Amino acid sequence: MKKTVQWIILAVAAGILMFFPALFGIYFTNVFLTFVIFALFATTLNLLLGFTGLLSFGHAMFFGVGGYGTAIALERIEGLPLILAVLIGVMAAVALALILCPIMVRVSGTAFAMLHLAFGQLIYVLALKLRDITGGEDGIGGFDIPPFSIPGVVSVDMTDPSNFYYFGMIVLVGSLAILWFFTKTPFGSIMVGIRDNANRVDYMGFKVPQSKAVIYLFAGGFAGVAGSIYALFQNLISASDAFHILVSFVPVMMTMVGGIGSFFGPVVGAGIFGILEELTSRYTEQVELVMGLILILVIMYAPMGFLGIVQILKEKWFGKMSQQAGAEEAS
Amino acid sequence: MDPVTAMYVAQGIHGLAYGMILFLVASGLTLIFGMMGILNLAHASFFMLSAYISYTVLQVTGNFWLALLIAPVVSAVIGILMERFLLRRVHASGHIGELILTVGVALVILESVKVFWGTENLPLPVPEFLQGLVSVAGLEYPIYRLFIIALALVLLAILTVILYKTRLGMVVRAAVSDADMVNALGVNVPLVFMAVFGIGTWMAGIAGVAIAPILTVFPGLADQMGMDAFMVVVTGGFGSLGGAFLVSTIFGLLSSYGVQFVSALAPVLMFIFMAIVLVIKPMGLFGERE
Repeated sequence: MKKTVQWIILAVAAGILMFFPALFGIYFTNVFLTFVIFALFATTLNLLLGFTGLLSFGHAMFFGVGGYGTAIALERIEGLPLILAVLIGVMAAVALALILCPIMVRVSGTAFAMLHLAFGQLIYVLALKLRDITGGEDGIGGFDIPPFSIPGVVSVDMTDPSNFYYFGMIVLVGSLAILWFFTKTPFGSIMVGIRDNANRVDYMGFKVPQSKAVIYLFAGGFAGVAGSIYALFQNLISASDAFHILVSFVPVMMTMVGGIGSFFGPVVGAGIFGILEELTSRYTEQVELVMGLILILVIMYAPMGFLGIVQILKEKWFGKMSQQAGAEEAS
Repeated sequence: MDPVTAMYVAQGIHGLAYGMILFLVASGLTLIFGMMGILNLAHASFFMLSAYISYTVLQVTGNFWLALLIAPVVSAVIGILMERFLLRRVHASGHIGELILTVGVALVILESVKVFWGTENLPLPVPEFLQGLVSVAGLEYPIYRLFIIALALVLLAILTVILYKTRLGMVVRAAVSDADMVNALGVNVPLVFMAVFGIGTWMAGIAGVAIAPILTVFPGLADQMGMDAFMVVVTGGFGSLGGAFLVSTIFGLLSSYGVQFVSALAPVLMFIFMAIVLVIKPMGLFGERE
């Protein structure tokens, strides 16, 4: 019975996603795609923060390097296929994670957070200073978006927003699905183990630094996916969009607002942020003031985030019912 | 003295003056973040707020000393209110909770400042009696920067004496290392922490008033200074005043001589310095704990 309901909800959701551009128009399609990009970005951060217990203040660097990788590749290489451009961005992010991970797996706690802050700022400054490569403050924009094509089979024009929506959704939702399965593997349990008690994981014979490195590469690489799609979607990537310290804080806050304890918390948080930004920007100029107040309220009154509230309400309203159901099943 | 040496000395003074302002902000942060373990990303916002308040006080009264007296105290009061009514309640949820809360407070302060004072750069004159140059041994020094350096050194001395030579300082250090135990001995630890928080914010406020005539007052003040101050605290080692002082000085000199010799690399020198220190000593130069 419960399974059927789940399948129906899933089918309806898939249907809505499928026909989103036709149902809601281009404006909301773009808003929605932005939301999914940040949902993926926040989920990769949650892989570190929620699952492994590593707080990063510099996650934007992977997002930004992914975006810049794709943008620079498209600007410099003529006739580059779309998929390859995305892959180059992702590889750039993975490469950055590879460079950093020998240092990062050795530290945790505040040192981890602060080292990321330092390297994030370092890359931000480099992106501003290396004008020949990154375009300085203007960033890189106006590059051609190649069509998505499988030679001899199909070629889809990606400058059309609704076509790009489908491409973006497939990549982003695909990435989210991969990450979801990643957390369900036995390796996913090691992540939680490292968070709760790294020493014990070590005693059990699992290699903590190497495991951290793998998680780090996953988190960095998929943040690169989000950045790459973001650059393609905006047709622009600039240092303040990609590497600014606030870009690093955004996924942390989304994760906190949504709920830190679950895989879908950051997704919910990204949704809440998207809706709030959309609504407040209509009524007031001071969007950031409202955001600040919301952050204060959330942390004061709902520190477990939105999913935490849902959990509490669920137990309050349905707690008895599920207990009874459990008792019946047991007997 | 030949002009080359004179230039080196002038750059050195500039670097030291920036380093000392940085130290004033960072010393407050080292009390709050380093000792009490409260991650306060709004620290530099109080620094900026104080600069704005000093601008208004100067507009109204025209007295620099009054501005130096009032603005940091007002900022400190706001800081204490934040600690008492907001930060204390989320302390249980650890650094992430404090991060979210203080980022929220920083955003609110930033936007309020923009609403009240606008977004333009507000110029603030150097007070008359601190204008001009003084010449010593054939070299000329800008008086105002020497004043800043002296101010920072005096505050460092007072803070050191209070922290390490008085009973109050002893209680603070004890409360930092084991709050529960000190509480059990009959000391009102939350009150002590509130006072320390207030002093930290007050120091940042002093720095805000001091820097206003040099850089003018604008909303972006908090960004740069906040980042640099955090790096100072982390690099110098948590809770180490001496470390904060040393690293602030190094950062100040790095930035001024860096611009002169390796201008392309200048903005990243501090990050490189911090990264090297943290890789070798994750606890910072003089840190005893994480």
